[in-house]
Amino acid sequence: MLREYVVEGDEDALPIEAMCDALSARAEPRRTERRSWIDTFDWRLYNAGLVLEHQRRGGESALVLSDRDGQRVARVPVGDRAEAAVDELPEGPIRDQISTLAGPRALFARVTVDGPVTLLSALDGEEKTVARVAVEGPLTVEGGDALPPRVRVETLRGYPKEARTAAKRLAGLRGLATADDSLFEAACAVSGLRPGVYRSKPDVDIDPTLPANEAFAILLGELLDIARVNVDGTLRQLDTEFLHDLRVAVRRGRAALKMAKGVFDEPARSRHAAELKWIGDITTPSRDLDVYLLGFDEMVERALDPDAVRPFHTLLVRKCRKAHTALNRALRSQRFGRLLEDWPGDLAAADQLGPEADRPIADVATDRLRRAWRRVHKRGSAITDASPAESLHDLRKRCKELRYLLELFAGLYTKSAHKEVVGELKQLQDNLGAFQDAEAQRFLILEYAEELAEAGVPAATLIAMGRLDEHFERRQSAARAEFAERWSRFDRRHNERVFTRMLGAR
Amino acid sequence: MKVIAAYSIKGGVGKTTAAANLAAVAAERGYRVLLWDLDPQGGATYLFRVRPKVKGGGRALVSQRRQLVDAVKASDFDNLDLLPSDFSYRHLDLVLDGQKRPTRRIGQLLDGLRSDYDVVVLDCAPSVSLVSENVVRAADLLLVPMLPAPLSVRTLDQLETFVADAKGRSPAVLAFFSMVDRRRGLHRQLVEELPGERPELARAVIPVASAVEQMSVRRAPLVTWSPSSPASQAYRDLWQEVVRRW
Repeated sequence: MLREYVVEGDEDALPIEAMCDALSARAEPRRTERRSWIDTFDWRLYNAGLVLEHQRRGGESALVLSDRDGQRVARVPVGDRAEAAVDELPEGPIRDQISTLAGPRALFARVTVDGPVTLLSALDGEEKTVARVAVEGPLTVEGGDALPPRVRVETLRGYPKEARTAAKRLAGLRGLATADDSLFEAACAVSGLRPGVYRSKPDVDIDPTLPANEAFAILLGELLDIARVNVDGTLRQLDTEFLHDLRVAVRRGRAALKMAKGVFDEPARSRHAAELKWIGDITTPSRDLDVYLLGFDEMVERALDPDAVRPFHTLLVRKCRKAHTALNRALRSQRFGRLLEDWPGDLAAADQLGPEADRPIADVATDRLRRAWRRVHKRGSAITDASPAESLHDLRKRCKELRYLLELFAGLYTKSAHKEVVGELKQLQDNLGAFQDAEAQRFLILEYAEELAEAGVPAATLIAMGRLDEHFERRQSAARAEFAERWSRFDRRHNERVFTRMLGAR
Repeated sequence: MKVIAAYSIKGGVGKTTAAANLAAVAAERGYRVLLWDLDPQGGATYLFRVRPKVKGGGRALVSQRRQLVDAVKASDFDNLDLLPSDFSYRHLDLVLDGQKRPTRRIGQLLDGLRSDYDVVVLDCAPSVSLVSENVVRAADLLLVPMLPAPLSVRTLDQLETFVADAKGRSPAVLAFFSMVDRRRGLHRQLVEELPGERPELARAVIPVASAVEQMSVRRAPLVTWSPSSPASQAYRDLWQEVVRRW
């Protein structure tokens, strides 16, 4: 249970002596403190019930892991840089747990607070510490906002009763009011952060009767927001997921704009669609190389000879750096800057609108979903064993469009049928994804093998790359062999009935 | 999770001080450490100012009427918790004897702490008993303090025979010289010569020092209040050897 108090009134008159008397506590000398709370951009630790803090107190620097109620799990002395601190954790379950939770996401300081701290130790008859109390503040949140002083009771393992007693005694002191939130949450609030809240897709309930132009503008605006918040992390290359989420938001936006044909002024709509396509194009090389490098270790295991593939890795790293430099140039351009402005609102409010602008969004969405479904059916049914890879790629793109639409308009349809349709579609998409990923990997291997051969790398490198190509060829063939079965499962009458029921039940 | 047992057949050789200081060094390094004071005399418990009392006694823990983790007390030091001694531990042999697989019971109990701790240090009473058999089976490393005397070598041999005769997986053995007075010729001679002959002997040597004796007055591990003293440095060196061998 969280036991924190806010000091009210005169900040210079912290009742330390009164607290020591009330708790039979010993006070340590006052020190300066800097606390940075570390998490991933999408709050993976917080959402797993953990709070990781880099604490610099006097000359000490430590990483402190606690649960959300403030119960400490571990404290590890580390160096002074918050971002590097996690790497200094000793090997063991904590490091494993944090690394597993973070996955490909970077851990970095989300919010930092500075101020003085006085630690009090409540002692028992043996002079043993049975509860700890930290008196912090006045505090400054990085960025300049101020927070009033706080008093926090830390429960020590095996001494819950003593912590309760300490809290009760503190609550009885004049000038202390029970805090509604932890210092971390309060610091986040003044910094405009909401711990645990991250969305990679729009999270709005659209009124089914809303005119289509307004509804599309809301959805596009939400997607634009998601793209916007991921730009800084992409530019700084904090981790690969910023670019991924930016691209997915853009792709969803493209799908939405495509389906908004007839809703907005056509020249304006197609101009924006072209701009979104431009973002898709300029981000593709960086993303492809990111994916390649993320999976490189797994690939090396298959190549059998890690030394032989080293020149390939060096080339990929160089290409990736170059691609990101080019991408950053584009992301800092005026053209991109204009794309981050509120164009969805302008589209919806323009004098010129499409003929379907006033139709209720539910009707337009149902119409577009039906069309997208038909397109998938038509493309998929035309695929035979002799069809080229492009046909599967094209089907994959149509499936993505359908999926994005289903997700964007999820709130308009019954949950159970919607869930079933998405589940079935996902199985087909997994197969098409496996096929296309292998195709893209093979294409890159061939392209880079030629470049490396010209540069005169050892034959062992080219042989290892040949092995990699074989591996992806096998993976691609397996996906291709499985396609017919996956398609017939997706394209069965039952799914069509569920889809129709989903659309009709609205 | 690694289990280290400070164990000796002989008493008064610096077992509890080693257990307390090594636990404190490990905690300083960021490991989550539990020190279980299995000695009914409760020396380690006293050092950490904790009440030597476990609700329900050793019987409740062994029978799992009370979970081990519920009896744990935080020490005054980060990452270091203590499972206190209880006077009832003097009957632990009898309690263990009444269990199924009596020689594996302590190991089984410790298995339940794997997600809570990285290192468990067991401070055992000096004896050869069912408790010691349990400790040998549960430990990854037996840490054996030795006085620098010829008789100690014989005691180490006895202990190694006991470990070899125990059923199941044998822990690594790391013996070390404790209470060494370098002004004494015999001490110097043994400390210089014996580690070359016995690979299980640590290079780190714990000196006899008034600071070590002061621990029971200060009631805290030496490494926490006199971190740069030679004895503290010796415990740190010993910890390095523990990590290399576990």
